[in-house]
Amino acid sequence: MVDALTRSMRASHLLLAILVAASLVVAAIGAALGDIFYLRLATEALIFGGLAISVDILLGYTGLLSLGQALYFGLGAYLSALVLMVVPSFWAAIAATTLASAVAGLIGGFIVNRVRGVYFALITFGMAQVAAKIVYNTRALGASDGLIGVPVIDINLGVTSISSGSPVGFFLFVLALIVVMYALAAYLLDTPFGRLLIALRANEARIPFLGYRTMTPRLAAYVVAAVIAGVSGALYPMLRGFVSPELMYFETSGNAVITVVTGGTGTLVGALYGSALLTLLKSVIGSFTPHHLIVIGILFMGAVIFLPKGIMGSIRPAIERMLARGEKP
Amino acid sequence: MSEAVQYFQFVLAPQMLIGLVLGVAVILVALGLTIIFGLLDVINMSHGEFYALGAFFALALAQIGLPFWLLLLLVPLLMLPVGYIVERALIQRVFHSGDRHVRTLLLTFGLGLVMEDSYRLVFGPNPYRPETPITGGVEIFDIFLPSYRLFLIIVGAAIIAAVAFIVYRTRLGAMVRAAAFDRDMAASLGVPVQHVYAGAFAFGVALAGLAGVLLAPIYSVFPTMGRDFILMAFTVVIVGGMGSIAGVVVAGLLLSQIQAIVALYISPVWSDPVVFGIMVVMLMVRPQGLFGRLGHG
Repeated sequence: MVDALTRSMRASHLLLAILVAASLVVAAIGAALGDIFYLRLATEALIFGGLAISVDILLGYTGLLSLGQALYFGLGAYLSALVLMVVPSFWAAIAATTLASAVAGLIGGFIVNRVRGVYFALITFGMAQVAAKIVYNTRALGASDGLIGVPVIDINLGVTSISSGSPVGFFLFVLALIVVMYALAAYLLDTPFGRLLIALRANEARIPFLGYRTMTPRLAAYVVAAVIAGVSGALYPMLRGFVSPELMYFETSGNAVITVVTGGTGTLVGALYGSALLTLLKSVIGSFTPHHLIVIGILFMGAVIFLPKGIMGSIRPAIERMLARGEKP
Repeated sequence: MSEAVQYFQFVLAPQMLIGLVLGVAVILVALGLTIIFGLLDVINMSHGEFYALGAFFALALAQIGLPFWLLLLLVPLLMLPVGYIVERALIQRVFHSGDRHVRTLLLTFGLGLVMEDSYRLVFGPNPYRPETPITGGVEIFDIFLPSYRLFLIIVGAAIIAAVAFIVYRTRLGAMVRAAAFDRDMAASLGVPVQHVYAGAFAFGVALAGLAGVLLAPIYSVFPTMGRDFILMAFTVVIVGGMGSIAGVVVAGLLLSQIQAIVALYISPVWSDPVVFGIMVVMLMVRPQGLFGRLGHG
């Protein structure tokens, strides 16, 4: 017996499989042509896709619009850069960022979850602004310049090791990591906990009458989203070799929201498709004119008005119907 | 004793006057924001870009030779139809969906991106500094103040008073407040709710445009001018209580003074984090802000 949520998750998995297959083709073509620029760009799209997944867990499943997810992304990026500059170990950086973003998410979660709805959006926005300004003003963190000179590292995978400087290798590694994070989030959302989150989005007032707490799942969702954003951020300095305060600014949070809404809110996989689409658009339009924001802004407004479910949210029901037919004995 | 007086006269008082000018400026921008939220229940993320639009209108019209004093009247009048059309053509499309807050916020966010980049396309990224319409300065209690800033404080106070009068003391204002309080009841009593909504949005946007004209000679005109300013305006609206006009005035004066004092005693770079920190704490402790909402009590 499969219910609607599990079936929609399976549809998302299928869409993810298509995306992974396409990514592998891109990687193969890139490797064959010896390309660096576009593979690096695609890796960046995946990293920001991770940030978008964390926004989607909050917006698409729990019904909380976070305008400050860059806070955790930036935290991960800065911490990872600092760790790598002392100990050039991937696993040390990831362990440190996971722990730190979980703790920060817990503290931040207690602050922001005191309020609901539009106030939640504003408080996440305000909190990220405070953090961004503090980083911007702290000389030890490089102030407005950020941290430069993050070393290229070898990621030890036991049997083999991948250099973060290798375009194809690092792209594939980031792809694998993002897929793992997607799988983790998808698994969590398909458990009773995930159903509780969806119930929170639908009608929070009714949850206590069913015998559940509301604060605990909200907080848990917020922490999970913070960790995913933090780990995604940790990958950024490995790719680019630097971090800058811009990573914590509202532009980064806003871009993640645009990505999710365009890609498909509440589909998880839409976050990744959205990120790929926006990166592609920026790069294509950017080669003609520096004014890509006009096009992206209009596209985004169009999505909000005409396609509120986003691209994947509009495609997925067809796949769900297909899967439903397949289930019949 | 005289040392304390001199300190006040040459250090503290000028700093507080700078704070007052900023406060009046922020209040002008925040007024429109709070009216739009209080009435339409819409967080206008593009408000800063409408502020910039007013400044760019003024810039373009000044280039064809119109005097500043005419612009003060003309630009808000030009902004009215712009705001009206934006409300009817864009915001109304998502206004009646279940997720009004989120979708209107996202829509206006996208609109802001398009507007900001359009300014860059038309005017280029560099700042313009319009000539100050009133030159010279005055001394008040031996404290020097540029005349234009004094003018700004007086005109700003007059505009704030006029807005409060319109909202609280006229029939039009009563209709607006009625529509905010209970849309259906107001409609059944003959209030043209659709036009009131669009009109209120246009009014809020026109106020932002007027602020743009007034502030251009002080803060310069550039494509991202709205972005820097709107954060402060949002903070003022949140601390004052979203939708409250009195709240905007009190919070605007208070926060701009805090900002000025922090800039003096700690460092100018820390004034922003402190002010935003106050906003976060306010949202935690008292999310409805210092005062209630427009039309609600």
